[in-house]
Amino acid sequence: MITFPRVARAEWTKLVSLRSTWITLGAASVLAIGLAGLIGYAVHRSIEGGEPPLTLAQAVGTAFLPIDLFVLVLGVFGVLQMTGEYGSGLIRATFTAVPRRWPVVAAKAVVLTVLTLPVMAVTALGSFLLCQALIGDTGAGLGDPGVPRAIAGAAVCPVLMGLLGLGIGTLLRHTAGAITTLVAALFVIPVLLGPALPNDWEKNVMKYVPTVAGQAMYSVGGGGGPFETLSPGASAAVMVGWVALVLTGALALLIRRDA
Amino acid sequence: MIEVRALSKRFGDKLAVDQLSFTVKPGQVTGFLGPNGAGKSTTMRMIVGLDRPSDGVATVNGRAYREHGAPLRQMGALLDAKSVHKGRTARSHLLALAQTHGIPAARVDEVLGMVGLESAARRRAGSFSLGMGQRLGIAAALLGDPAAVILDEPVNGLDPDGVLWVRNLLKGLAAEGRTVLVSSHLMSEMAVTAEHLVIIGRGRLLADTTVDDLIARVAVGSVLVRTPEATALRDALVAGRATVTSAEPGLLQVSGASAAEIGDLARRHGIALHELTPRRASLEEAYMELTRTAVEYQ
Repeated sequence: MITFPRVARAEWTKLVSLRSTWITLGAASVLAIGLAGLIGYAVHRSIEGGEPPLTLAQAVGTAFLPIDLFVLVLGVFGVLQMTGEYGSGLIRATFTAVPRRWPVVAAKAVVLTVLTLPVMAVTALGSFLLCQALIGDTGAGLGDPGVPRAIAGAAVCPVLMGLLGLGIGTLLRHTAGAITTLVAALFVIPVLLGPALPNDWEKNVMKYVPTVAGQAMYSVGGGGGPFETLSPGASAAVMVGWVALVLTGALALLIRRDA
Repeated sequence: MIEVRALSKRFGDKLAVDQLSFTVKPGQVTGFLGPNGAGKSTTMRMIVGLDRPSDGVATVNGRAYREHGAPLRQMGALLDAKSVHKGRTARSHLLALAQTHGIPAARVDEVLGMVGLESAARRRAGSFSLGMGQRLGIAAALLGDPAAVILDEPVNGLDPDGVLWVRNLLKGLAAEGRTVLVSSHLMSEMAVTAEHLVIIGRGRLLADTTVDDLIARVAVGSVLVRTPEATALRDALVAGRATVTSAEPGLLQVSGASAAEIGDLARRHGIALHELTPRRASLEEAYMELTRTAVEYQ
């Protein structure tokens, strides 16, 4: 008998039995923490050279610069969970075993979250601590206002991007098309949308763009970015909304069309 | 038991499957035959619910495949040998499929043994040959110990040993009382494997019959006659409503009359015969005859 926990167990087996899963997550995590450390050290040197010390918002933003990269890595990771199955033809075996289909995508979402959230928590905390330690005395601390929340945001935001990628992969089915769409949604649209909109619109629209909302989740005091942002909590809600929208649309299409 | 009722599938303005109806009974191997592009794979994909029918229904043991609570126990399918991620081992691939149904890992090792892949169980599927891929696909189809099995071109890419193995496997599954539907575009393979045949062309049913009936029904048995008095014999045969063609002088090909009737007729007319050879149409010819008008891609 098919049950959801069984489908989730099967998806877990699929995820952990691929070497690429561990290589991707491991390499990206080490890279992000290492980069945060390097950036922290660079800041330390420039402060020694007479630059003014960082504000709290800047110190937090500095530590999480590599998270911007991680967002893309996890987004692509999410895309591949689905397009990898279409590309290899495995999807036919998968949907023969679970012909109602939607539990497969739901299980992938659960399993992706369960695996990547702890990795991201370690990465976010590690990035912050290493970066601040290397900045030195003027670095931010865990006790500073908004810092624990920003670290949590840095852990959760890439996971949400992974789920967004999963939804885009389910919608588009082809790796190249889905990754192109993801990159466009995360990096190209925000760049083009800003200049394309009248100023008062830009202010109201940009804070709902996934990249902007995502960055607001791991910033303190708005992060000093070029756009006005919502509060971290509201930004998280916007991100969850995007994920829910894309995944729901993907599932509706998935159960209708030919596999 | 697999039942297909008025099943149709339209891709754009092309009708790939057209009002197809047939029943696959348990306890025998049913061959699903047709030229390339006849709609065999599309029909099988609709039976397992991968493609949505434009019209009609397909049921497995009385229900649509997707309505079953444990579909892998009702029917196993091999639709494409490459339904596997290259980076995963054979065992992990099967284990993930088994876990969706709570099928124990011991069954995974069992089916790996049944298809002769136990020594390759921990190798990544990307390194498999076409034949090993087919065996892995068959292992996946057998995971749930299903009441029915459908296999799309299972002998593609197998060496002669493998072909024989599949043939015996299918016969064994049928002998255990399972429903077995196996597609092929090769009549010669089905002739030695299947007892029942469902033949389609251009998405339509051409024949739903046994191997023996097919020969009897379609094969126009002809008789080859060599005689020095060909013209006289031809006139006598045509008067007796047989059909006569001639490929070379003194050689007649006669249909609509048995060798005995022709011999008797020749004696009554005092015509000497130098050769009288009954020609039985082979299953291959019967199949060609049936599908001749329905070949999609020449």
